[in-house]
Amino acid sequence: MNLERVVFGFVIILALTFTFAFVMGDIDNASHHNVWMLTIAILINLIATGLKLGDRSQVGALLLASSLVVDVLLIAARVVWIITENETASGPSPESMANIVSLAGGALLASLVTVVILVGDTLISRR
Amino acid sequence: MAITSELDRVSMVVLRYMRGPIFALIVVYAIGITGMALIPGQDADGNPAHMSLFHAFYFFTFTATTTGFGEIPNEYTDAQRLWAIVCIYMGVVAWLYAIGSIFRLVQNPHFVLALNEHRFARSVRAIKEPFFIVCGFGDTGSLLARGLDDHWMRGVIIDIDPERIKALKLRDYHVDMPGLCADPAVPKHLIDAGVRMPNCRALVILTVDEEINARISTMTRLLNPDLRILCRSSSKQHIAQLNSLGNVTIINPFEIFAQLLSMAITAPRLHNLNGCLVRNPESTLGQPIQVPSGDWIICGYGRMGKWMYRHFVRNGIKPVIIDPKAANIKGAARIINAHASRNSLKAAGIDHAAGIVAGTDNDHANLSILMSVHELKPDAFTILRQNDHANQVAFDAARADLVLQSSLTTARRVLKHLISPQVQIFVDYLRDQGEDICGLAVSRLKSMIGDKPLHLWQVKICVEDASAVVEHLRQCLALSLAELTRNPYDLEDSLQCMSLSIARGEQRIMLPADGELLQLDDELLFCGTEYGERMLAASMNNAYTLDYLVTGEDKPRGYLFRWLDRRGRSAENPA
Repeated sequence: MNLERVVFGFVIILALTFTFAFVMGDIDNASHHNVWMLTIAILINLIATGLKLGDRSQVGALLLASSLVVDVLLIAARVVWIITENETASGPSPESMANIVSLAGGALLASLVTVVILVGDTLISRR
Repeated sequence: MAITSELDRVSMVVLRYMRGPIFALIVVYAIGITGMALIPGQDADGNPAHMSLFHAFYFFTFTATTTGFGEIPNEYTDAQRLWAIVCIYMGVVAWLYAIGSIFRLVQNPHFVLALNEHRFARSVRAIKEPFFIVCGFGDTGSLLARGLDDHWMRGVIIDIDPERIKALKLRDYHVDMPGLCADPAVPKHLIDAGVRMPNCRALVILTVDEEINARISTMTRLLNPDLRILCRSSSKQHIAQLNSLGNVTIINPFEIFAQLLSMAITAPRLHNLNGCLVRNPESTLGQPIQVPSGDWIICGYGRMGKWMYRHFVRNGIKPVIIDPKAANIKGAARIINAHASRNSLKAAGIDHAAGIVAGTDNDHANLSILMSVHELKPDAFTILRQNDHANQVAFDAARADLVLQSSLTTARRVLKHLISPQVQIFVDYLRDQGEDICGLAVSRLKSMIGDKPLHLWQVKICVEDASAVVEHLRQCLALSLAELTRNPYDLEDSLQCMSLSIARGEQRIMLPADGELLQLDDELLFCGTEYGERMLAASMNNAYTLDYLVTGEDKPRGYLFRWLDRRGRSAENPA
């Protein structure tokens, strides 16, 4: 067992589940999506990206790339939220909300790719 | 210079053929366009108007090529229509003439030849990786090309026979092998084939004519004094001539086979290992053939018979020779001047013969000798010479103990020289060391690989082949052979590969020990399985895997955990 693998696996799966938790719900209903959940997902994913810095292996490069994609998409979603927060009393309008959740959905997909690569690599190395 | 002259020839032929038609087209266009621009027309309101030169050109272009977009820019007057009729007939005839000339040109055999040579030279010039030139694409040439293809090496092929080049085009090689139908003894064709290119590794000469082989060698030596030449030759006079050129490796299939036979008699285990190394499908590792050393009969005292005879005598065997023309052979037990038949075989003492060589240059005669032997003395050891590769199926069915196929022997030997010269050095080393060392190596290979075919490959400790190893060695860390060939899935186990030799500068380390420490620029010859090669390449190029193989622990990879790891270690040993 390798401590780095445990920590990275934990962080990356946590990031995936938080993103999923944020995306769940009607796409244009602001009350179904919690902005805190989005923020926590961003933070956890940034930590995962940081953990992969310095890995020179091919799989490491791929993991870093996919977690960077997640960062970009989630931060874009958060920025849209900040801009559109005051559109209605209860937060972003349905159109803006759909944009935000779509971006987070894309991030969810990239997160899923990261986890699949991680699991595949672990299964192949069989140590 | 020769390269540009080729291009000049193609363009010259084109120009000569197209001179007439192009001239005719220009004249017809000029007449048609001028006429159309001069003849008065009228615009939509009936005012007189002349067609502009541009419109005239536009009209003529679509009329002459029979496209016909109609009357533009305005409806034509009758005078214009009259001229349009003239234009149509003139233009169409001129175009037909031009197109006919183009068709005649592409069917002209000289033009096709010039174009092929030009294309061939261009595709050879585009080769960036190392390549070999093969002159002669007969049985041997095509076997060699197949072998090169198996190793993903490129060959450039010249053969004088157009049928052979057509056959080449139909082969399904992984790598592109340009072929030219031309006389390889002509210097221009050799230059086109790339004898002067720095990435041309060697020229292999395999045509059937000894005289032409010698001529190609001489030409090549003059064109490129440093190029390595491998030439098939079995005539004394030509061999002497070739040797004087320098840096020529002579491949004499009959000598090679006689040596192999010698090896089979004196060192059966090495003969068996050698057969497996060159991937002879009839050799099974660890099951050497037993050549008896009783009375032998050689049928046919030609080139092969002479070599076999020489090696038999060297091993203390005095064979009986059956040949219609042989006479005055020193040391032979008996000479029977007859064609090999049942009677002459009986006269030669087939009843108490240990082995027979059917070595005439006629496949049919050899097969019928073999059938007589099967009938008269079924337990005799039989050596059969096969001259024509096309008779393979019949020879497979003949069940001889050893078959010499000159083309196959030559192709295997050339390939050994080209792809893995270290293998021959290794085999020579084992021959000097004796059968016991060879037996040990075979049993080690056998226990590692089992019954799978042996796979040979060479690796150089350089950045391209083994980036992680180079990095490891540059950090002044030691790396032994055993550590490198550990199995990353199970450190107790090792990969299916065994190092046969290491070339370190001028030094050759044969059968290196497990503890042998690797150095930069070592060239290692490995034997194992293809899976073993892939796994070893992965270990040699992945720094993390290599580190795991050496230390047995998975090092942290990211900056953060590396930092934590260093802190943890310095806390453990505060010194």
